[in-house]
Amino acid sequence: MPHEPYDIGPARPRLDALTKACGTERFSADHYPPDLLWAGARRCGVPHGILRVVDAAAARALPGVHAVLTREDVPGSNRQGIVHKDMPVLCGTKVRHCGDPVALVVAESRDVLRQALALIRVDIEPQQALADMDAALAPDAPLIHEDHGSNVLLSAEIRKGDAEEALAQCDVVLEETFFTPSQAHAFLETENGLARLDDDGVLHLTVSTQAPFRDRFEIGHALGVEPWKIHIHSPFLGGGFGGKDGATVQCLLGLAALRLPGRTIKMWWDREESFLAGYKRHAARMHYRLGAMNDGTLRSVVCRLWYDTGAYAHLGGEIMELGMEHAAGPYRVEHMDCRGFCVYTNNPVAGAFRGFGVAQVSLAFEGMMDRLADRLGRDPLDLRRQNALRRGDRNCAGVTLTSSVGLDECLRRVQGHELWTTRHAWKKGAPTFTRRGVGIAAVFNGMGYGRGLADNAIAKIELTPQGRFVIYSGVPDMGQGNASTFAQIAGEMLCQDASRLEVIQPDTKRSHPSGSASAGRTTYTFGQALIQACELMTSKLVRRAALALMIDEPGGFTLVPGAVRHLPTGKELPLTVMGSMLPRDDRVCVSEYLMPVSREVPETGKDFALGFPHLIFPFAAHLVRVEVDELTGLVRVCDYLAATDGGRVLNPQNFHQQIEGAVAQGLGFALMEGFGTENARITTPDLSTYLIPTSLDLPDTRSMAVETLEHSGPFGMKGVGEEGLNGPLPAVASALSDALGARITRAPVTPAMILELLASRGAQA
Amino acid sequence: MIIHFCINGRDTELDVRGDERAVDILRERLGLTGTKEGCGTGECGACAILVDGRARLSCLTLAAQLDGRDLTTIEGLGSPEAPHPLQQSFAERGAVQCGFCTPGMVVTAADLLARDPHPGREAIREALSGNLCRCTGYSRILDAVHKVDER
Amino acid sequence: MSAYLPGTLADLWNLLEEANTSVMAGGTDFLVRRRAGKCAGRICCLERIPELRGLEAQDGVLEIGAATTLTDLLESSTVAARLPMLHQAIRQLGSPLVRNQATLGGNMCTASPAGDTLPALYALGAQAVLMSRDAERALDVAGFITGPGRTVLEPGEILARVRIPLPDPGAVQHFEKVGRRQALAISVASLAAVLRLDGDAVRDIRLAFGSVSPTVLRCAEAEAWLTGRTLTADNLSHAADLVRAAVRPIGDVRATADYRRQVAGNLLLRLEAYRP
Repeated sequence: MPHEPYDIGPARPRLDALTKACGTERFSADHYPPDLLWAGARRCGVPHGILRVVDAAAARALPGVHAVLTREDVPGSNRQGIVHKDMPVLCGTKVRHCGDPVALVVAESRDVLRQALALIRVDIEPQQALADMDAALAPDAPLIHEDHGSNVLLSAEIRKGDAEEALAQCDVVLEETFFTPSQAHAFLETENGLARLDDDGVLHLTVSTQAPFRDRFEIGHALGVEPWKIHIHSPFLGGGFGGKDGATVQCLLGLAALRLPGRTIKMWWDREESFLAGYKRHAARMHYRLGAMNDGTLRSVVCRLWYDTGAYAHLGGEIMELGMEHAAGPYRVEHMDCRGFCVYTNNPVAGAFRGFGVAQVSLAFEGMMDRLADRLGRDPLDLRRQNALRRGDRNCAGVTLTSSVGLDECLRRVQGHELWTTRHAWKKGAPTFTRRGVGIAAVFNGMGYGRGLADNAIAKIELTPQGRFVIYSGVPDMGQGNASTFAQIAGEMLCQDASRLEVIQPDTKRSHPSGSASAGRTTYTFGQALIQACELMTSKLVRRAALALMIDEPGGFTLVPGAVRHLPTGKELPLTVMGSMLPRDDRVCVSEYLMPVSREVPETGKDFALGFPHLIFPFAAHLVRVEVDELTGLVRVCDYLAATDGGRVLNPQNFHQQIEGAVAQGLGFALMEGFGTENARITTPDLSTYLIPTSLDLPDTRSMAVETLEHSGPFGMKGVGEEGLNGPLPAVASALSDALGARITRAPVTPAMILELLASRGAQA
Repeated sequence: MIIHFCINGRDTELDVRGDERAVDILRERLGLTGTKEGCGTGECGACAILVDGRARLSCLTLAAQLDGRDLTTIEGLGSPEAPHPLQQSFAERGAVQCGFCTPGMVVTAADLLARDPHPGREAIREALSGNLCRCTGYSRILDAVHKVDER
Repeated sequence: MSAYLPGTLADLWNLLEEANTSVMAGGTDFLVRRRAGKCAGRICCLERIPELRGLEAQDGVLEIGAATTLTDLLESSTVAARLPMLHQAIRQLGSPLVRNQATLGGNMCTASPAGDTLPALYALGAQAVLMSRDAERALDVAGFITGPGRTVLEPGEILARVRIPLPDPGAVQHFEKVGRRQALAISVASLAAVLRLDGDAVRDIRLAFGSVSPTVLRCAEAEAWLTGRTLTADNLSHAADLVRAAVRPIGDVRATADYRRQVAGNLLLRLEAYRP
């Protein structure tokens, strides 16, 4: 394996796959330095209230306890957050969800930690718990954040044309309300990290994090530490999916480390704490009116979206923004009036999750398309193809799609696939007590940060004296495989094989800021920067070789595995020689890339500080075949097909892995994953109540690449990390509608819901 | 209490407390962090190890229960320098994304193959139904086990 | 806190004499409860006592050691051939990893209303054999389990063996479990049925429902009504109504009471497949 070319195009195995398979790759959770101390948070257990007493005396007196910290011990602002800094590190005056931390214990062992946490006495004067958005929006509702003045974190609108007026001119107007639940990331490696304050006054952290560079600012602001005095290393993550974007353990760990200089402190949330205190997908309610003409042309979408952001903002505004930008679907719609309300409640904190606001509206806009197809007697794929966005169109937010748009081709591929063409015969073959249905969905999800936040990456590559190239990744690899893709990019650009390529996982002292691992952006943005850095490296090595070989001009040189070769003379200089010959600062190349943003300045979307609008979108068409058991209401997913436009495919294995994994999470979202709360208390606190799909619950997804050329992207690609998750729920809803003759408006679809639909259809029949 | 056991071929003696779990002594006292913990309640399978050749959940096994037993962890199946065929197959066939579930998957698959060297793909699917993966959707994991003999 | 692994019954009885001693076999329920802060104290693990493991068929009765793992039972050709409904139930319990250590006795002593082996045991008329230092007693599983999480076990007493009369090879055995996913799922409704036919009429039938009452429910009304009748959709539908009237389900995060009630009856309709 090591001496094979490691280039763009083939399905090269990942560089880290073997160490992971052998258990030798160390995740953040796998670090156990000697003399470790364990930190843990005492969480309030009450959804809303005034914090009256935190009595830590008994805990402090317990042998083996090194510190018990409360709000008074927090320097700095005591506020963390990615954009909107509204979340205390330790609560001082009030608590806003059951997971809000009121004290931090540092102890010599996990046993002592557990005992100490139980000894802390907390007195909270309960306030009315705002368990859902309606309660939070009621006129007499208490304020969750008094200084915000309202329980609406953000209200916004995106308007194009005159939607209400256009609706009145339509032949067909359809109306529906949809609901999507909260969802937990349920990564296998829960939130964790280690921290130590060194003699040099630097706070060193190893954290399972998607944003090591930004974490420094979040910690710095929260604890009053200079970001330059915070050093963070992010090893491979055991999953992230958005849930490790934004401080989880970081500020608490920093607080403990500041208090106990020279000591290494570890925090690792167990599964229940991850569910309690970690971030979740925003639950949403979406009210839609769609207007179209009899010939199938979409004319107007008027929609109202409500996103439940829980107790703190996290990226609530940005998530809602992206949903709103996608609200009318990947279609040509002349008019749109979309209003959004991101609402605080006392539910667990909602934050970033793959599909970032779009997974929610996908149920809605695809549901409306299905209803329209039904009403007009049109084939659902034909109707979508008729209205599918093409390059050069304006999307529903009024933004011109200057980038690649492969949606129609994706739809065409699904339409021609045997899973679709044989659907009638397949359905007829349903066994006893079984109904069969086939459904489809169109999918998209904007890539990158959008306008307002520089979507920037800085790549650094070094030639070592051993003649190897080390790539200093600036963005964590949480399983999406970007580390290996970077090696492939370098291998392609520098013509080297895997034995000469190494990727260092992000380290704020050694790599350069490159944004977060999120938004499907890392290969695109860092990849482009890396291509540039490789070009600089090639140019430099060629010139230095020319000097060393006393060839008077650098043309005619090329890099070959292990050497620089002068083609006209055949002379070569091994990379080991070059690496030994050059001083360090002459064998390191750094380059920077900024993702392009829309040149348009829409008149709308003014409420958004950042994110609006996006410019580059992957697209897909999905198909699912399901069986419904009439006696139990259980749904079995028999087949799943995804045709995805991600521009050019750099590595088919990495590409399809992303689709397959995203579809698995989307099917969970559709059929079994409702993160439950009742009166703002969690009803699904662990993996026995919050169910994610096992191997017996999923089909083998058939994933097809539909290649377009994204000119702006590295080798023509664009990021597909998120969009796959948006397809399964609407596709399943569509399939169930086909099977049952009844419409789905909420997720997850439960067996009880199915039985009710069967009963009501039976009553009507 | 002092326990004696064989771990990855090496005889070992350890003084353990009654309520210490196998997963903790492996990760924290023996430095074998290849075995992971994902839930602590037997719901995810990330902690699977082989005890007397049979896969079991080390988060629901007391260290005391290891006395006299023969243990194999993921590190004992193979290393990057000399990987077990399953480890090689997982790495090559794209069965590894984040990799946190992978050791548990490989250990459980090793148990299956020891009993049934050529299982059908659906038998593999059932055998791995107690190992959760959040990244892959399982297909390539099933392929990796099913085609372990193919190069 | 100490953990003990006695190798003999004699050692076990001595250990059980001390107060605050809990017994565990596979630990898949016990250690989870312990992690949640319940059952503190000394642990006595049964896995090394040979008398408590293994199975033996004699005189039409299968005797199973209570600490026999579920995987061992799954791999038993006797269980597969003569008790396919129990085999089916075990196959859907937990996961392969759970089954490698979990035991039949543990599932019975946990006595969850949703215990996956229980409906089959009730339908088969299984007996629990309890042992203490000086005595042994046997009783029907329906008498052994008295409520959710409650058995008649006295201090110093363990469940040692399970006796299952082997049904007539001509009998139909049926098991279905309904869970929210296909593995690692707590049952929300289940049916274990054993029946014999005379021609196409039911000679006798036993129906045991799981997860729809505080303990497994044998629905005597439905059994009586179906006896002598054929397995038509109409007959089964009538019996299903009787079942729905008899069950006492709760609603929880996994399913509502209404759903459980509806489905308990529905599961009976599946028996039409056995109509000759």
